[in-house]
Amino acid sequence: MTNINGKAYAMNAITPMKPWKTPILRLIFFVFGAFKCLQADLKNLSFIHFARWVIIGRNQFPHLSSEQPAENLHYDYMIFFSNFNGTWNQYIDAFSAVLATGLNKIWQWSEKFPGSVPVTPFKDYIRLVQFDTDYYYNCYPKATTNDVKAALRVQDALNHFKETSQTLSPAEFEKAYQDFLIKVQPDLGSTGVAPVGT
Amino acid sequence: MANENGQVYGLTILSPIIEDQRLDIEHATQLRWYLERMPRDHHSPFAKVSSTYLARLVVLDDVVFVGKPACEEHLKSRYLIFETNFDGDLDTYLKRMAAEVPTFVHDVWQHCVGYPGVENVDAFVTYMKKCQIETTFFFADVNDHTVQQTLIALKTQSSLAHFVEKNQGQPPAELQKLFGAFLKRLDTEPPPLPGDRRGDKSPAEDPAHD
Amino acid sequence: MIRADHTRIDVSDIQGFALKGYSFPHARFLLLELLECKDAQNFLKELLPSITTGERWDRKPSSTLNIAFTHKGLGKLRLPLVTLLSFPPEFQQGMKARGDILNDSDKNSPEHWDAVWREERVHVWLGVYADSLTALETSCSRLLQIMDRTHGARLLQAQEACAIYLHDKPTPNEHFGYRDGFGNPDFKGAERECVPGQGKLMADGSWDALATGEFLLGYADEAGELPVAPIPHLLARNGTFMVYRKMHQNVGAFRNYLTAKGKIYPGGKEKLAAKFVGRWQDGTPLELSPDGENPDIVKDDNRNTNFTYGKDLAGTRCPIGAHIRRANPRDAFGFTGQLSNRRRIMRRGMPYGKFVPDGEPVDDQEERGIIFMALNASLFRQFEFVQQQWIEYGNDAKQGNDKDLLTGNHTGKGKFVVQGTDDPRNPPFICANLPNFVELRGGDYFFMPSLTALQLMASGGVDPR
Repeated sequence: MTNINGKAYAMNAITPMKPWKTPILRLIFFVFGAFKCLQADLKNLSFIHFARWVIIGRNQFPHLSSEQPAENLHYDYMIFFSNFNGTWNQYIDAFSAVLATGLNKIWQWSEKFPGSVPVTPFKDYIRLVQFDTDYYYNCYPKATTNDVKAALRVQDALNHFKETSQTLSPAEFEKAYQDFLIKVQPDLGSTGVAPVGT
Repeated sequence: MANENGQVYGLTILSPIIEDQRLDIEHATQLRWYLERMPRDHHSPFAKVSSTYLARLVVLDDVVFVGKPACEEHLKSRYLIFETNFDGDLDTYLKRMAAEVPTFVHDVWQHCVGYPGVENVDAFVTYMKKCQIETTFFFADVNDHTVQQTLIALKTQSSLAHFVEKNQGQPPAELQKLFGAFLKRLDTEPPPLPGDRRGDKSPAEDPAHD
Repeated sequence: MIRADHTRIDVSDIQGFALKGYSFPHARFLLLELLECKDAQNFLKELLPSITTGERWDRKPSSTLNIAFTHKGLGKLRLPLVTLLSFPPEFQQGMKARGDILNDSDKNSPEHWDAVWREERVHVWLGVYADSLTALETSCSRLLQIMDRTHGARLLQAQEACAIYLHDKPTPNEHFGYRDGFGNPDFKGAERECVPGQGKLMADGSWDALATGEFLLGYADEAGELPVAPIPHLLARNGTFMVYRKMHQNVGAFRNYLTAKGKIYPGGKEKLAAKFVGRWQDGTPLELSPDGENPDIVKDDNRNTNFTYGKDLAGTRCPIGAHIRRANPRDAFGFTGQLSNRRRIMRRGMPYGKFVPDGEPVDDQEERGIIFMALNASLFRQFEFVQQQWIEYGNDAKQGNDKDLLTGNHTGKGKFVVQGTDDPRNPPFICANLPNFVELRGGDYFFMPSLTALQLMASGGVDPR
């Protein structure tokens, strides 16, 4: 299972686009970047560590030597890389359920994209355009992006608390410790092995 | 810069793989087999280049034919895709790869067109940048902490939960003392290793890579 | 209030068990092996007139009968190979083979199951419900006679189930002492009142019934398509899938744990018990009444499941990892609850074994627990998902690897966090070193066909494309 390392799944997908559509997509991404709406939705879904879209124009495949044959392509290609948590089905179900509009704006320029709703033809298309990862490294395999965010909040709260914790009187400490617990209590989930991915 | 999001850099490199019909086993195949055997835990080369969050290497055989009315077409070369997400700037990262895991870099990129070797670090960095593809849109859920800070935070989270549960109901003075001792222990513990999966066995993964 | 909708479902073609909870105090689940195909078909033919449908009752019958089949059972009836292979993969595999996904390991692994489940011998589930033991016996004797006469099936095991009686009255309680049965999903076309909180949450805060296709095959589901179903259409339509799990309850272990933790939890034992589940033991939801039981709310169907978690994201009323919040997160994950809508299951559980009141000694070796049954259009997307991602894991709830305290496969490890406030009666608190309060003793996946499909199967007339 080379697509998975701990709780992260490495998805790669490549789709062809007619070159006249590429500038439109670049503009859409620019708008997404500028208005932060897609970024906000992705953060709220909280499934993805890092994801990127990379457009490779038909003449932009690296050509480094005269011995390497030059590509002669009809289409531009968009490659999507995602590092996400959860199973393949869960990930796509969630996107189809709540981010359909955003997904459509990105992929409608790819040839034969069926739309992200309903979900079954959408999954069929992804299976067609997805290709497998040969090697995947994860610096925190036991943690999802939720776990990471929770841990950073806990560390932050602890950094503030420990500055004062030893200088307080026991009674003051008791109150401060309680306040500290209330701050970190939503973020104390354990890390470990992911459920089996499908 | 579309390659960056906060402190995180998203690097995408497409290195053309050498096509040589004379070989018994083609470069792309050798590369695949090599990657399959490499450790993916704290023994991974990327654990040494410790500013790496998540990195992948993928042999791209060809583009996809999605079916009529789309046209069928094919790539003339195969490409090694290197997608990595790391702290800090690009030059530092590439230099670290050349300096800290030169054997791995050589074993991988020797199969690629135009690879100049790692002895001349600047030449290597130039080569990699020549194969870099600009990211069009980069999403990073967490973009303001380093790998090291993140790993320490995860350890803190786990240790703290354990401490809290164990010491529920302690009287305040005692709790304060124990908490002080706990903080000292946290500070003196060795830093967690990137890529460490020990203690866990996921049935989804190939046990050979644990 | 009944909402108008355009979905018409043919209740006379759908088995009643799929459409309503029968509210009988007695049940027996006859687990059968099918014999020679022709005889099995005859057996099925003779049963057909007695199968309870979803039609409204003028007068409640004294007993009901419903039937469902494992994949192996369908094979015994010699359904065409193409049809058999068109069933969803998880149903074809059966529940035992899905152990990795369901985390049925250690104490829940098949080596601890009843032989009949461990050996995967069950072909048919006959669900017999009755208002009295006499009616139950009469019904079951008749069925055994039909089996004898046709030589179509053999009884492997008869699983008794019975409501828990308190003060000589049947209750909807289960063995840990909680009132059960709230929050079953409403779906379009079902002829019962839409109870606020049971359907899906709308943007304006109201509740609407879920799409029929989440629970019945052949109807549009929440994703706007027909659910994956076996072919031919006539076999699948008006049918559904059922999971059956015999869950042994370690009542002694649970009570000991609750007592021990209840002593150090400042809110007290009853409150801690409520925090485990998200409802007080009488059924009052913590979200609506965080400080105590409230019989008025429990009695009122417009209130007893009418709540959301949007104003309690911190979990200080109902803990983030509480059982009902895990099993049905409602709007807890944002996006107006859309991430929950396709993960709902219709529960039909029934306790089994002798009830021991709190305070009396109880032996956890004795047979006692709940026969958990749930219906859904997709075992993979609904039941299996909830079990794998929300019960045995906690990432969606941002609780990491923490499992559901009540039913999780803890093996002595794991923890449950009770989020609190600075109110001394509601402080933050952690319960760790969790034993298995529940242990799996077997079960399987079943297909519950429509009456039309049963006719087809009985006459050998299933014709795939």
